[in-house]
Formats: sequence, C-alpha cells, structure tokens
Amino acid sequence: MHVLAVVNPISYFQAVILGLVQGVAEPFPISSLGHGVVLPRLAGWNIHQNDKFFLTFLVATHLATAIVLLGLFFKDWVRIVKGLWRSLAIREIRDDDVDARLGWLLVAGTIPVGVIGLLLETPLRKLFASPQTAAAFLIVNGLSLLVFERLRQRPPRPGDYLGDSDERIAKLSWRQAIAVGTSQVAALVPGISRSGFSMGGGLLVGLSNEDAARYGFLLATPVILAAAALKLPELLGPEGNGVRGPALVAGVCAAFTTFFAVKFLLRYFQTNRLTPFGIYCVGFGSICTLLFAFGG
Amino acid sequence: MNPNLRKLILPAVLVGVLLIVVAVIYFVQPEHSLPSFFPGHASATSAEANHHHTKHGIAALVVALACFAFAWFQTGPKSGPTESRA
Repeated sequence: MHVLAVVNPISYFQAVILGLVQGVAEPFPISSLGHGVVLPRLAGWNIHQNDKFFLTFLVATHLATAIVLLGLFFKDWVRIVKGLWRSLAIREIRDDDVDARLGWLLVAGTIPVGVIGLLLETPLRKLFASPQTAAAFLIVNGLSLLVFERLRQRPPRPGDYLGDSDERIAKLSWRQAIAVGTSQVAALVPGISRSGFSMGGGLLVGLSNEDAARYGFLLATPVILAAAALKLPELLGPEGNGVRGPALVAGVCAAFTTFFAVKFLLRYFQTNRLTPFGIYCVGFGSICTLLFAFGG
Repeated sequence: MNPNLRKLILPAVLVGVLLIVVAVIYFVQPEHSLPSFFPGHASATSAEANHHHTKHGIAALVVALACFAFAWFQTGPKSGPTESRA
C-alpha cells in the first residue's frame, strides 16, 4: 500500500498571519491583494501569488470576508432584495422606493466590475503579481486616496452621519453609481484597493465618507462572494489537498478581523477621512519598493 | 419613462438572446472549438486547447440578464416624476 505524504505548502502559522492581514486589508482601503503579494516576500516565505495552492488557499479567506460582510449587512440585504423583487413586479424603479433604487444601483455598479473581472482577472494577476509591482501600486493607491480626498465634492460636515444613509446613496444617478462601481476594476491590479477606489469614487460623486464606505461595502459583498464561490470547487477538489486545513484556519482569522475592521471603519468614517490610509500606503509601498530594490 | 428608451426594448431583448447563445457556446465548447472571432479562441495545438472558458460564459450571461432587466423596466408604466434618472 502506498502512503502519500501530504506536505502543507502553507504552514498554520503562515495561515494565521495571512488570514488576519486579509481580514483587515480587505475592508480597509489598503489593498488586500497587494499585501498578500508583498507580505510573503517580506517574511521570506516561499509563497508566490500565482502559485496554484496559494490561489486555492485565498478562496477561503475571501469567502470568510464575504460571509462576514453579508452577515453585518444582512438586514440591509433582505430589504434590498425585497425592493428588487418589488420593482420587478411593478416593472418600475420608483424614486421613493429607497431599497429598490439602492438595489438596482448596486446591480448597475456591480455588472461592469463583474464582467471585466471575469474576463481580465487572470491575465492581469499574471502580469502584475510580482512583489515589486505590487509595492509600486501600493504607492499609486496611496496617492489616489489622497487625490480623492483633495478632489471630493464636499468636505465632511458635522452631522453627516445623521439620518438615513441609504436615502442619500439612493439619490445617486445611474451614471454615478456605475462609475463608482466600475472604479473597483482598478483593484484587479495587486496594490490597488477595491474599497479605496469605491470609497474614493463615492467622494467624487458627492457622498460623505461614511456613505461612501457603506456603499463600498455593499458593492464589495456580491463581488467578493461571487469570486470566492466561483473558485470554491478548487478548494474542495484535488487542488485543495494539503491546503484545506490552513485555509480553514485562515478563513476563521480573516472572518474575525473583517468583523472588527468593518465595525471600526463604519464608525471611523463618520468623522474621519481616507488621508491616513493614503499616507500609510505611500509609506509602506515606498519602504517595500526600497527593500525589494536594494535588499534582494 | 423616457420614450426614446422604449425604442430600445426590442434591441435589448435581441442582444440578450444573442448573449445567451454566446454563453451556452462558451459553456459547452472547449477553447479550440470556439468560433475564431470569439475572445479566448485558441488553436487545437495550444496547451490549453480543451480548456472551457466558463468565466467568459458567465460574463455573457450576466450582460444578457442586464439587457433583459433593462427591457423589462422599459415595458413598465409611464411614471412621470418618479421616472428613473438614467
């Protein structure tokens, strides 16, 4: 009888670290993919973003993130789905039906990034998934966040967070909603943050930081969930052999940090801006670029 | 309801049906059997000739559903001040 020794390509320690970082970096506007590429290189781990086992491993962390986002906004999603059905039944999206309008704005904003992501995710990842490139794009991400704050249509005002956030978001035009949703396409490049660009897009079309963050999280949920669901068979199939244990641990860690990160951000953006995240990305990206250039 | 958008009902349905057909072709045909003008077509000698472009099929399906949804709402009642701001 042959006994095949299964060697875990990712250790449980690495899984914990990667899961915790993914859980924070996904909702924070600092690019989880960029950190996922840079971190193994910084730590000297023999993990590359394009390794088949690593891609399979990441499915679990993304799935965990998506489930937490879905859970945190579950009541909102129930309202939104009911609104969608209501509008389909009457064949009309009424302006005074906030849930229906918000739902269709989310659909309109998700389709471009969904379609472009399906078509271009693999080639873009193969093209840009080196630590050096990801570090450079982290700088670009940071500068973009600073520019978004600079070009925003309106400064934060006291009481921005009072009242119904969904009502304010539902006042976006179709073009604005599609533009904000499409801005997430930039995040196909490792180093560019999906939440950062959707929040930045929200600021550019006149939303407050809190509303932009909320709209960004609602936009992110179906995209992350669909991406994870599409790759779930890989985790459950033969490609997941040796990875499932660490992936499960990483998923739990990612779920834990995502929960607290989203809770924190929703409160943080009631009164604060994207600026600190922009400075962090420029700083971290610059340090990584220098380390990779001179440190081998 | 914008009357100009109502004129797009039939084209939207036709495009939707066409995209459904495209999606089915992507789902059932391997890369080398796709029509040569389809994105993702590859020669029979390429390394991944038997690979199915499922993601392309899903993308086509999503856009098809969007076309149908657009057409569906354009057949709705004229609604005056509550019309969509497309």
